[in-house]
Formats: sequence, structure tokens, C-alpha cells
Amino acid sequence: MKQTIGLIVNPVAGMGGSVGLKGTDGEYYKKAMELGARPVTPARTKDLLSHIRKKESIELLAAPGAMGASHLHDASLPFTVVGTVSGETSAGDTRRIAGEMLAQGINLLVFVGGDGTARDIYDAVGMKVPVVAVPSGVKIFSAVFAFSARAAAEMVDEFLGGARVAEQEVLDIDEAAFRNNRLASQLYGYLLVPNVRKYLQGGKECSNVNKLAVKSKKEVAADILEQMDPAVLYLLGPGTTVKAVADAAGTSKTLLGVDALADGRLVGVDLNEKAILALFQKYEKRRIIVTPIGGNGFIFGRGSKPFTPEVIRGVGRDNIMIVGTRDKIVKLEALRVDTGDFELDQVLAGYMAVTVGYKETLKMEVRG
Amino acid sequence: MKRPVDLSMNEMPFLPPAAVPRAAREGLLKLNRYTRRKDLENLKERISRYAGIPEAHIIPGPGSDFLLREIIHGFSGGRKVVMVSPSFMPTVEKARQFSTKFVGLRLSPPQFSLNSDMLLDELTEPALVIIDNPNNPTGKLLLDRQTVEAVLHRKNTFLVVDEAYYEFSGVTFADLVPSFPNLAVTRTLDKAFSLAGARVGYLVAGELYLDAFASFYALLPQSSLFAAMAALQSIGYMKENVRWIAAERERLYDKIAQLGAVVYSSRANFLLVDTKQPDIATKLHERGVLVSDISGQFTSGAIRVSVGRREENDAFIDAYREIVEIG
Repeated sequence: MKQTIGLIVNPVAGMGGSVGLKGTDGEYYKKAMELGARPVTPARTKDLLSHIRKKESIELLAAPGAMGASHLHDASLPFTVVGTVSGETSAGDTRRIAGEMLAQGINLLVFVGGDGTARDIYDAVGMKVPVVAVPSGVKIFSAVFAFSARAAAEMVDEFLGGARVAEQEVLDIDEAAFRNNRLASQLYGYLLVPNVRKYLQGGKECSNVNKLAVKSKKEVAADILEQMDPAVLYLLGPGTTVKAVADAAGTSKTLLGVDALADGRLVGVDLNEKAILALFQKYEKRRIIVTPIGGNGFIFGRGSKPFTPEVIRGVGRDNIMIVGTRDKIVKLEALRVDTGDFELDQVLAGYMAVTVGYKETLKMEVRG
Repeated sequence: MKRPVDLSMNEMPFLPPAAVPRAAREGLLKLNRYTRRKDLENLKERISRYAGIPEAHIIPGPGSDFLLREIIHGFSGGRKVVMVSPSFMPTVEKARQFSTKFVGLRLSPPQFSLNSDMLLDELTEPALVIIDNPNNPTGKLLLDRQTVEAVLHRKNTFLVVDEAYYEFSGVTFADLVPSFPNLAVTRTLDKAFSLAGARVGYLVAGELYLDAFASFYALLPQSSLFAAMAALQSIGYMKENVRWIAAERERLYDKIAQLGAVVYSSRANFLLVDTKQPDIATKLHERGVLVSDISGQFTSGAIRVSVGRREENDAFIDAYREIVEIG
């Protein structure tokens, strides 16, 4: 049976790179044009389309013009145009057309762009439909992206072959900060991505990477569960590994929020600082369970706003439990903190243990 | 298609001297026989002379990784195993499988240095510490004498230093073995002595390890045993090859750096390169060059490149340049 796939291309993604700009958000797109930037997405899109093998299994819906349809004329792939655009394309067009495709019942959404495009797609479809993300931005930090257009084509084929899906991070990169050589990113959300990675050498090990990641999360959760003390208040930060701890404890967990667990049950959901401090009145012993953001390694200061300096001080350095899957943790240079409180950052700096499996830890440098 | 250039296994690209395969053939003529104790004693004596350590501390075996595995089997029960991360993967996997508790001390770029306080802080309970020095895949020396002695003075701690690349680094702690019963050093003839196909390693073992290996009968095949004995008669040849590789490593380092990749200085016969290109190993393979893809232990785009013959290294550089230029 054919699967319906939507295609959305951000025609301006990646244009800043060749002219030395870091991203094309907002007015920087016009600046890139003035500097003579040329579109990079057509080549990426062509590469993607020419390497999808199971074309006969696809019913394709494409965004209009440069956002999709104009790349398809020599791709020998019939398609139906969804939505309209007038004049220059915008983030709003991406969100609107993605929403229309979702309403038409797509099975998979393929998009070409960068971190900004991933955020727009997340806003429009969330985790309602899996996506394949083709990298075409200046800098790509979000884990949702395939390595290359060809790798993305393989992911499409694997999806058509029945591959399972898993959540991957979408990051919110502050382009203004990035232009000043600061990497200021926050966890923005999660998209569902086919659970496939292709390598050649070491293929045997790596083809199992994602299966191992799921197993690894369970092992981490089992280890943490064993250490849990019913008298302690556990503040669970965002992320899928932390969620695995809640799953193992038999409770639910918001993926992006901070939830609280005590004596095996949820005592707070999607908490803000005030609500956490209120819980401190009731619980003397407290611990935080966090996972670093993929790519940059932040444990505090990005993606977990309720963990304010006051909350972290109220818990104490020794009561911070860091968890993560081995394959994610080994890709980090170091763990990072940026709480906005310089003194606290210095207290947190040094070395901390990350639980990466059952009775298995990695001691990592924490940079303030 | 041309035969691929293989720079993935940290082998010596040169054959051993002619006397070595001749000796191996001599071993093959005894294929119906197990190795004899006197031949093994002879090998131990030659290793002892080469390493400058009394024979009583030398235990030969089929590859140093095999000896490491024996130690993990024998000494990890009821102990925490402490290693650095990244490290030699087969040893890490074995340790994770057998240890009661496993702690990896993560080495951070760009220095990849081992913080000795972080290491010593872990030694508050019975522990088996295994550290490769130089480290594979970073090529960095991680230990100094002060740290090694501090670890050895800790109660209920065993230390194993894997010196597979000792001949390239020139740094060893084997001389401490007679004074510290809880120290063992593993070495190999696979690398510097051009004997990867023979698989001969040895343990320089402290008193506490010797008991565990008392009934250990070396499982060396006849051909490997005789090849090893001959190789240890040609130390000058080995040293010349090591000197050549070290000089070529620096040339390769410069060439890679010129192409814009992050390459780390090394004290072994390989280089760690961060290309920032996620599928670089695949792209190189498509161009007939095999390197070790270590993106599973590092950032995507990290590879370990062995120093090969000059034309092999140039083939790698040409292929890499082509990939960089295509973008």
C-alpha cells in the first residue's frame, strides 16, 4: 500500500553560509541576498529525491513553487501541490502548509532546512506524524536531522520498509548569540524520526545503535530506580532518558517540563520555580535528575528553566543525578552549565558522574 | 577496483625481517606438536632481556588483548572497574560485561588529559583500574609516575597499564612491577614488531597477578612462538621502523591540518582526526581508503587513521582532499 509523504523545502535555508552569515532568520535573509548568496536547497532536494529507491510506494504531496513543487519536475515522481504561497516565503508558510498536509493525512513529512525550519515543523505537527529532516541550514544542531540528503533518502526508504520511530531533539538556537560566537541553544521540543542510522565501517555495531539506545535508557532507569529513596523528592527534568525513569517508576512524565516524584508517585507536573520551592517546604531531602542537551551538553541554563539558581542551591551539587544514553553522552565535549549565577556555575564546575547504563557511569568534566 | 588502502587497524605497514617468516615456517613444521615448555621459556628469556624485567614476571600470551581479558575475568569480580573513555573497545566491552560496577573517566578534547584527582577519587572501594598509555584512539599519554604510584598505594586496588604502543611512545611503567605486586603491564609484538598476524603479547605481572596465572599455559601456536623469538633478535630493525613511522606521522599530521580538520598530536602510530563530516569513513571507503570510524565513541566525523606507508598516507590525503573540496 502506498504511503502519503509530504515535502516542504525552506528555499532560503543555508544561504547565509557562503556569505559568512550564521543563519538566515528574519532580516539576515535579505542581507544574504545582497551579499550574493545562492540557494543551496535545490541541490540538497535533488540529491534527496534521486536517492529514494522506493518511489513507487510514495503518494507525494508537495508545497508549492520553491517550497517543493519546482524541485520535482525532473524527479519522475507524480505529486499533488498542497497550499499556496504569495511572494517571498516565510516561516508562517512552512507552519501553515505543514498543518494542511497533516490534515490531509500524511504518513511522513520530509522537510529540507535548518534548525529554524525544524522549529516551525514542530510548531505545526508536534509528534503527530514522523518526519525526515534533510540538513540544509548554515549550522545544524538539532538531533532530528539526517547526516546528509542521501542519508535522509535512506531514512525515507527505511520508513517505507516499516522502520520504527523515536523522539529526537529540536533545539532553539539563538542566531544573534551564534553570530557573536556564543552557542546559546535551548531544548525546543521533540519530533518523531525513523529510528535508523547508516554507517559502513563498524556497521554491525552501529546498525544496532538505536535499538541499544532504547535498551540503554531502560538500563539507566533501572539503576536510578534502585537508588531511589521513598523519603526523597525527585525533580525530573526534560528529556526522553529522564522520562524512562518515570516510566520505570510506573508514573507519567511531561517530555519538556519538570515533574516531581516522591515515594513512587507524581507530586507535581510541569512545575515552575515557585511550585518547586513550595514542594521544598514539605520535603527536606531533594534530588534533581537531568539529562544533558544533545550536541552542546548543557545540564542547567538551557531547556530546563524551572531549575533556577535557587532551586539548584536548594538541592545541592551532590544531589544532582545526571543520566543519558552512552551514544549521546560520548558525543559531548563536556557537560556545561550556565545558570546565570556565576558563583553557582563555579560550584557546579569540576567533574560529575553521568549514569549511562546499569551500574555504569561516565565521569565528565563540567564547564561553567 | 584497486585494493583498498587499509589504515584502520594500527598495523605496522612493513613486513618483519626475512628471518621472522623463516622461523615461523620452522614452527609450521611442528604442527602436529603442542608448543614445548623449553621453547616458551626461551621466548620468556628473550622478552625479559628486551623489557629489562626478570623472567619470573613475564607471561607470554596470544595477543595483549587476550591477556587483558584474562585479567578482567580473574580480577573484576566484586570490584569496580575503572577505565578511561574512550579506550580500546574490545577491552571496554569485556570490562562492562564482567564488572560489578563500571566507571569510565571521560577524556575531554582538546587535551584529552586524565585528571589524576578524578581517578584517585574513584579508588575508595576495591577496584581494578585499566588504562591504555598511550591511549587508543587519542594517542595521548595519560599517566605519569606520580599518579601511577599514588594508584598503586591505594588499598585493594589493582592497576593494569596497557602499553600496546610502548615502542612508539618510549614511556613505560614496567620497571615498577618488581616493586609493586598490584601492577601489571600488557605489551604486544603485534604493532612495532610487525607481527599482527602472529598475535603475540606478554604481561609484565606483579606478584599478586602471578598466582592467577600460575596454571596459565601459553596458547601460542608454534609458528607465532618461533616468529616472536626471531623478531626479538631484530630489535634494531623494529626501532628503525618505529622511527620512520614517528617521522611520517608528523608529515601526515601537517597534511591533515592543512586541509582544515582538527587533528590531535599523538605518541602512537595513529592520529585522531575530527573531520566534522558525519559520514566521512563511508566517503573515504568509497574512494578506496579504510580508516577506523570512531564516531560511536566521539562526535560524528571522528576517525582514527593509522600511519601507513607514504603512498598509502598520500592516498588517504588525496581522498580526503577530494571530499573536502566537493563539500
